[in-house]
Amino acid sequence: MTSERKIRANRTNALASTGPQTTRGRARTAKNALRHALSLPVCSNPALSKEVETLAREIAGPAANAETQELARQVAEAQIDLRRVRYARHQFLSDTLSKEYYDSYANMRMKVKVLRALLRPNPPDMSMETLKFATSTPQGPDKLATILSGEAKELLAMDRYERRALARRKFAIRAFDAARSRAAPVTG
Amino acid sequence: MYSVVRVSESSTRMVAFMSRKSESKTEIAAPSVPQRLTVFGPPLLLGGEDAAAHDQLLGRICAAVKPADIIDEMFIADIVALEWEVLRWRRLKWTLMQETGLNALERFLVKQLESNYALHEEHFKSYLTEILQNKLPEELVDSAEMLAAACTPHTDEANEKLDEVLSSIGLNMNTVLDDARADKAKELMQEYVRGERDAVTLIQELLTDAGVNMDTFMTNALAQKIDIIERIDRLAAVAESRRNAALREIDRRRAVLGETLRRRVQEIEDGDFADGELVIELPPPEGKNAN
Repeated sequence: MTSERKIRANRTNALASTGPQTTRGRARTAKNALRHALSLPVCSNPALSKEVETLAREIAGPAANAETQELARQVAEAQIDLRRVRYARHQFLSDTLSKEYYDSYANMRMKVKVLRALLRPNPPDMSMETLKFATSTPQGPDKLATILSGEAKELLAMDRYERRALARRKFAIRAFDAARSRAAPVTG
Repeated sequence: MYSVVRVSESSTRMVAFMSRKSESKTEIAAPSVPQRLTVFGPPLLLGGEDAAAHDQLLGRICAAVKPADIIDEMFIADIVALEWEVLRWRRLKWTLMQETGLNALERFLVKQLESNYALHEEHFKSYLTEILQNKLPEELVDSAEMLAAACTPHTDEANEKLDEVLSSIGLNMNTVLDDARADKAKELMQEYVRGERDAVTLIQELLTDAGVNMDTFMTNALAQKIDIIERIDRLAAVAESRRNAALREIDRRRAVLGETLRRRVQEIEDGDFADGELVIELPPPEGKNAN
């Protein structure tokens, strides 16, 4: 049972721990949970927002009514979002591939195990293959394969964002096409 | 669904195309690509991927689909990116299988060389000569070849001499023999991959004698890498289904466009002709039936 005194002390200490006080510190901790920012809407980024507007104008064309313009903006937003997700995934793969000593977490754990065993006073006999495994890192196609299994969780998360962006764009395009077809002038 | 067929044809050509040497790639001029496609960002290539082959794929798909507007271009950008991914994952799978199969073959060859010294006696002689030339004192370098020849025959006397010579330069006979075998096995395997007749014949003989073949190694490779191969297959399947969805959307849009045009034409016919507002004057008939 925790004593009254300890509870009081914990509460007092907790009141003192209110996180960073400076603007810089607060700005930094605000990004603690930020991974790839793909869950944020495209419009929260001013540069992307501008691209959305440019693309929307091009999609809508010169003689678009308000409804078509709004639907074109939705298409553009989904398209820019899709591009952002694909770029993030590509950047992630490229960055990981460029790490010289990259290995998956599972492989690293096994290597540490082997090396620990070797550092014991009476190290066990190990095959050349085990020693080779412990002292090398995957290269070439093996490296890409290791990244695919080692970073599967992250890649899967990005894939989910891509799937959502694709679905959003598909329905936005269908709605845009329907609106444009309704608004098309009768020529003859 | 004409575009599905046409694109899949061009993608099959691309698989063959990408496996060629880079000199031949430049011989084929890439079809022109609409400028607006650059709006959809630069091609997402990983290290070692060929940008020219990507442009070629984009050009071919543009030529096949003939985009009517910017939305069609979006779908084309998608199809190219996804097709590129499909090719990437297929290539990775093939390379992994091939590499694992060839590593297994190399290990098999090392074992064969262990039990059949005659297969690498000549190689061992030159391997040993090279070691001796590098390790012996300067005054003995000229005799390296002769010494190697004396140590190479697999007899008790020669082995004793070999051990003595190698010990004098701080090397272990078994390690040197193992390294020489590994070197020979690698050399043989590389010759086999290049399709050199002697190596192919020798390896086929060794495989037949051992009651195995390359398929055995490839099957073992598949079993060994099944997890990652399944993962790669899933990635390729996802990319393929998204690519096909983009193709279907292009077809749907074309159908909508066709339907809209048909409806408009019908409206014109029903409205304007029924009211008698639009009168088309036909030229008077000519010839023997003319009134």
